[in-house]
Amino acid sequence: MAFSVEHIQIAAYLGAGICVGIGAVTTGIGSGIIAGEGAYGIVKQPKANEQIFRTMLIGQAAAQTAGIFALVISMLLIYGRSDAPEGGWFRAAAYLAAGLAMGLGSVGPSLGAGYSGGQACKSVARMPKHGNAIMGNMLIGQALSQTSAIFALVVAFLLMYSIPNQPADISMGRIIVKSVALIASGLSIGFGTLGPGTGIGYVAGKASDMMGRFPNEKSKIMRTMFLGAAVSESTAIYSLVVSFLLIFAL
Amino acid sequence: MNLTLAQGIVKASALLGAGLCMGMGALGPGVGEGFVAGKACEGIARSPENASLITRTMLVGQAVSESTGIYSLVIALLLIFST
Repeated sequence: MAFSVEHIQIAAYLGAGICVGIGAVTTGIGSGIIAGEGAYGIVKQPKANEQIFRTMLIGQAAAQTAGIFALVISMLLIYGRSDAPEGGWFRAAAYLAAGLAMGLGSVGPSLGAGYSGGQACKSVARMPKHGNAIMGNMLIGQALSQTSAIFALVVAFLLMYSIPNQPADISMGRIIVKSVALIASGLSIGFGTLGPGTGIGYVAGKASDMMGRFPNEKSKIMRTMFLGAAVSESTAIYSLVVSFLLIFAL
Repeated sequence: MNLTLAQGIVKASALLGAGLCMGMGALGPGVGEGFVAGKACEGIARSPENASLITRTMLVGQAVSESTGIYSLVIALLLIFST
């Protein structure tokens, strides 16, 4: 199949659409969970409405992070230099893979951040006196669950900006191997962040919830949260290693 | 090294398999370990005097559910380097 510049454009626009389309799904769900719990909390504890509202807004902003990453990548794909032919098939594959990596990669972290923000709103409504400690814990937990979205962002940037140009005298078999390796690296980190992001969000949500019920055990709860989140993160790191190998070792 | 088209497709399929293997394989352990850690937080908050026991159980449970993630990593590395 002869290569033309349209192939890069097709890949870039398809990648941009996939990226923000999939990335927006759970960003919306997560923010919705937080808003729902916030509204319910205000019903139960109308006196603390300002504090609950503040927690809700901050939690939603943190839950949107991964969606914003997806938006940035898709803007870069749309307005990047996709009308220049250099790079060949490698660049087309890398653009599609960058979109897949960031789009799939923002699903888990947004869902996790949404759950933890929702639990934090519930918890603030239960114990408004400890609202600041709960909000601090919520932010730390959401940051932990967004780590895997940042892995996906790193892979997407590497795919977009560090792919070597396709050599002129290269066989079709070699081109297929390298292009598929790039797409596979996007899939690896994209799906790989889904589990850890959601799992860490669950940990952070439970920690915020329990901090509202048993505020005296704050340090033990936070220690367990950190330990558990670090262990859950390990599979995201395996995925990151596999996608680096697929990008650079082939 | 140059490959024929058929060899290229074989190698490319192995690599696609490696990416999907590690990606999907990381899904379960991530969710599972997060669930364990969340429940451990809950348990420690409810009965802080058993904190060390609960932490030990959490780590053992997470290590066991990590195993499928490690299987995926092994298979992905085999698919990348030995095909």
